[in-house]
Amino acid sequence: MALLLAVPPAVAIGVAAARRPRLAGLAIGSAGVIFTIPSLALFALLVGPLGLGAAPAVSALALYSVLPVLRNTVVGLQEVPPDAIEAARGMGMTERQALWRVRLPLALPVVVGGVRVAAVTAVGMATVAALVAAGGLGDSIFAGLRAGDETQVLAATAVIAALALVVDGALAAVERNFRRGRQVKLPSLRSAR
Amino acid sequence: MIEYQEATKRYGAGPPALDSLSLEVPAGETCVLVGPSGGGKTTALKMVNRLVEPTSGRVLIDGNDVAASDPVELRRGIGYVIQQVGLFPHLDVAANVATVPRLLGWERGRIDARVDELLDLVGLDPAIYRHRRPDELSGGQRQRVGVARALAADPPILLMDEPFGAVDPVTRARLQDEFLRLQQHLRRTVVLVTHDIDEALRLGDHLAVLAEGGRLEQSGTPADVLARPATPFVADFVGAGRTLRRLDLLSATDALTTDSPAGEGPTVASDATLADVMAALLSTDAPAVRVAGNSSVLGVVTLESIRAALRDGDGRQDPGASP
Repeated sequence: MALLLAVPPAVAIGVAAARRPRLAGLAIGSAGVIFTIPSLALFALLVGPLGLGAAPAVSALALYSVLPVLRNTVVGLQEVPPDAIEAARGMGMTERQALWRVRLPLALPVVVGGVRVAAVTAVGMATVAALVAAGGLGDSIFAGLRAGDETQVLAATAVIAALALVVDGALAAVERNFRRGRQVKLPSLRSAR
Repeated sequence: MIEYQEATKRYGAGPPALDSLSLEVPAGETCVLVGPSGGGKTTALKMVNRLVEPTSGRVLIDGNDVAASDPVELRRGIGYVIQQVGLFPHLDVAANVATVPRLLGWERGRIDARVDELLDLVGLDPAIYRHRRPDELSGGQRQRVGVARALAADPPILLMDEPFGAVDPVTRARLQDEFLRLQQHLRRTVVLVTHDIDEALRLGDHLAVLAEGGRLEQSGTPADVLARPATPFVADFVGAGRTLRRLDLLSATDALTTDSPAGEGPTVASDATLADVMAALLSTDAPAVRVAGNSSVLGVVTLESIRAALRDGDGRQDPGASP
């Protein structure tokens, strides 16, 4: 849900920033600042304007998701082989056609990589969202902590970890699928920064 | 016809990338821009489809200044084979070849038929290669797909930037042969860039030799450039082997003589080159080689008549001929 909110604007900003180094610096910088705010603090800040419940939780997760998606969009577009872009222009594609038919498809594996990081981060942080009455598996952990019931805490934690792994695995499969048939090896997520 | 009129490109201070190039490429001919890197060859090539705009001067196609045309429209009407091929790695061979027809909005059936036709033309079996990805092809096959893609919408003009640069020498020679065969019946106006003088001599109807700083040193037919290098730069670039290379470009009939020494000797066909004749002379003890026409012997070629033919080319040297 939070990802649905975050991905389109993040990709859009990424597209706009890919050829403008200063805008890219600014956008990635500000998204980075948000990313470093502790999740508990961000939830608390958002409860002010948005009240308790799902609204602040989803908003916070969306904000966190912007950075990895944005950064990978910029990097992915910058890593598109220049000869493919040259060929696209030379054969008479407009800027928009070159973007949709060549640049974005070639950047897609890296963008999906960003979405993957964002998704895993969001699953983990959603736990804390229980504190702003957003419900979810976090409730089970906090209930277990209050009751001193270690089994419940461990069980809920295991479920959340499993969920994160499943999400990660699914998106990794998507990413691999996009990456297949490419002759250019793109940088891994870790070197993307 | 493509015409450069004092086309110049400068990037900042320093010597220009291309210095006042004036050159005509007649329709249906292959003009090779040849020279070392830094000679402005690619710059000149890209001025035709406006990937590079001249700082001053003009480029005309059929008398119309390209600067007045819409770059997108212009490029769709010009085939472009780029250095390192530049196939789209996320698309299969068919989709790559179909790029321009799709941009032009052709119907599906017409595109499919055209793709198969072009793959046949460049020697790739459509049934096998249509759905391959670029990374499943060899270097030579990629180059062929690049050529097919450039020809897709049947453009009258073809720009080729080091089109056979990324393959091994054997494949390169075969691709050059195929290019000559294609061009013989397609008769496109081709501007081809290479740094390889042998490739230039082989493929070009016309050569333009460019030196560092984007200066045009000489323009002329391959035989002209070999026989009469206009400047020391051209002589040096063409290299010490130029006499031997000229033998490749001269026909056996250019050195025919009637004062035939008696005796046996090998026979060559009338379309043989002087290089073939030389080989025949050197591999036998015979003093002369007979040149056979359709039904009769046209005459003989001797070492002396070959020397005369080469002198003949040099003899027409005119110091004022350099452009």
